[in-house]
Amino acid sequence: MVKRYFRAAYLSFLVHVVDIPPRFFAFLIFIIFLLFPITGPPESILLMMIIANLMAIYGASWDLLVGRTGQISLGHALFFGIGAYATALLYVYLNLQPWATIFIAALIGFVIALLIGFPCLRVKGPYLALVTMAFPLIMTGVVYYFKDITGGERGIYGIPRLFPFLNYNQQRFAEYYFTLILMLISSIIIYKIANSKTGIVFLSILDDELASKACGINVTKYKIMAFAISGLFASLAGAVNAHILSSASAASFTLTISFMPVIITIFGGIGTIYGPISAAYVLQILDRYLLYKVINVSTEWRTIIYVVIVIVLILKWPRGIARTAVDKLKDLEEARPVEVVYKKMKKKEESSGGSIHAPS
Amino acid sequence: MIIEAIIINGLMLGAIYSLLALGFTLIYGVSGVVNMAHGSLFMLAAYVFFVFTFQFPIGIFWASIVAVLATGIFGSILYRLLINPIINDEVAVLVVTVCAALILEQAVILQFGSYRKAVPSFVAGYVEILGVKVTYSMILAFIASLILFLILGIFLSKSKVGRAMRAVSQDREAAMLIGINTERLCMMTMAISAAIASIAGILITASKTGIAYPDMWQHPLYLSFAIVILGGLGSIKGTPIGAFIIAYAELAFMYLVPGAMSLAGAVVMAVMVLVLLIRPKGLFGKRIEME
Repeated sequence: MVKRYFRAAYLSFLVHVVDIPPRFFAFLIFIIFLLFPITGPPESILLMMIIANLMAIYGASWDLLVGRTGQISLGHALFFGIGAYATALLYVYLNLQPWATIFIAALIGFVIALLIGFPCLRVKGPYLALVTMAFPLIMTGVVYYFKDITGGERGIYGIPRLFPFLNYNQQRFAEYYFTLILMLISSIIIYKIANSKTGIVFLSILDDELASKACGINVTKYKIMAFAISGLFASLAGAVNAHILSSASAASFTLTISFMPVIITIFGGIGTIYGPISAAYVLQILDRYLLYKVINVSTEWRTIIYVVIVIVLILKWPRGIARTAVDKLKDLEEARPVEVVYKKMKKKEESSGGSIHAPS
Repeated sequence: MIIEAIIINGLMLGAIYSLLALGFTLIYGVSGVVNMAHGSLFMLAAYVFFVFTFQFPIGIFWASIVAVLATGIFGSILYRLLINPIINDEVAVLVVTVCAALILEQAVILQFGSYRKAVPSFVAGYVEILGVKVTYSMILAFIASLILFLILGIFLSKSKVGRAMRAVSQDREAAMLIGINTERLCMMTMAISAAIASIAGILITASKTGIAYPDMWQHPLYLSFAIVILGGLGSIKGTPIGAFIIAYAELAFMYLVPGAMSLAGAVVMAVMVLVLLIRPKGLFGKRIEME
């Protein structure tokens, strides 16, 4: 009985993963991610990968909103920061456990996205981009003004780590696996939403808002839905990030944080969902490992090199690296049957005596 | 007393702010580019001005000329190299211009260090108008803004290039059909926009703040957003109105609410969001789109 289930699972794995080159490749990379902490990497590398996991969630949430519905948000730091502050304040004032605070922080992000979505989505295109950018700024002002509650410029320190009962080194390992699994679950959810019926409606709004309206779609409802889901995952990433770094500060509301998912998504391929997820790792490794550890240049040069690489890739590969890679892999898949057919034809030719014309 | 201070300072500030946002709205109106590097052009001008007044002193007047020219050339190069190849992709343009801004910021830190640099003011001293102290350099900035506005207005309505710019902003394809080289025109617009930004940069750093620092590009950028959105993106006549609204809102808040300096930026943005709720296309935005 059990054997049969295993066999069915194995078969569906073969059909749905191994036979599709991009998925198989992703599966291999996932196995590497799963196993790499066993090699005993230094803590900085683990932290880098933890942050990359969170950035993948954050980037995918932005991609769901912008790549799929075309509602450009340049203020995603709002949700990231709200997640961080919500989890911190919930700990400080209500003394809740990390699990609870993260969950509630994500819900708060969802609700705030709903509230902001109503006014924001009245405006379109560049107006929307610039308006969304205003909200993190407003929040920065608010955080600085209510110094007693939010800690002002210093932020809130001493938020407990996710696994306080483990010792220091074990904590990072546990956090790595926790964020990896969180990333996997979130990205599967986002991917499923993007490819569900709702996701198709999102795409129709991206393509032609007026036409979707004419089809009887409640455009505002779907736009706000996308906004809220996106806000949920962005604040989830922010909340976990606050626990990892055990602090929440107004730095989460800066332009840099707002533009992180934008750069990640454009780099990976906008509208693909898997694009930002893979680009988060590529960029994180490029920035924190190659430029910082291996070449070891100064912070300023590091930023310049990083940004120049991003610009060059946007100019040369506007479709994004992940999408280009997946297209290449898909070509591989399509090339195979043709080759097989060609070989069979050749064999036939040889067996029929070197001529395809039937003897008259 | 407070009311007079708000009125007079708001007048000065509004004029400078409208200059700041003018370049931003110009390049958006003509080529549809949301130029996130606008604040960086502002910063670049301030630093070039600093270099030519302190490190290689050639006099304040010539230093400003050099700063304006350098920024203008830099702006057109920026357009040619980075923006032009991806002009049709709105999001990519946003990202690339932000990247350019980040590069400039880091370059400035590498060259000048991350601490603040004092920039000389044009003229010292102040005069009292209705019992409110107003520095001479503020008045100079005010007059310069007015003159520039006048020049730009005449340029846009009378000169051949200015009319071509308006044509492109109205209908890009039609402008191409009647033989306007839109690509070159956009580059020229970018140069003019950068030059205006640099004048605003010199005026504001030299007369208002008096300091240059590496992340000084962010505040003017946000201000120009707010102003331009209030006035309507791409609307030249809406810009000064948006600028005065923002300037008065900021000043009124700063004078009337004690200890609210940190909220000033937030107030500006809140005003912008509120206006957009009532008028989704800004006060003077194009209202062509059918709902």
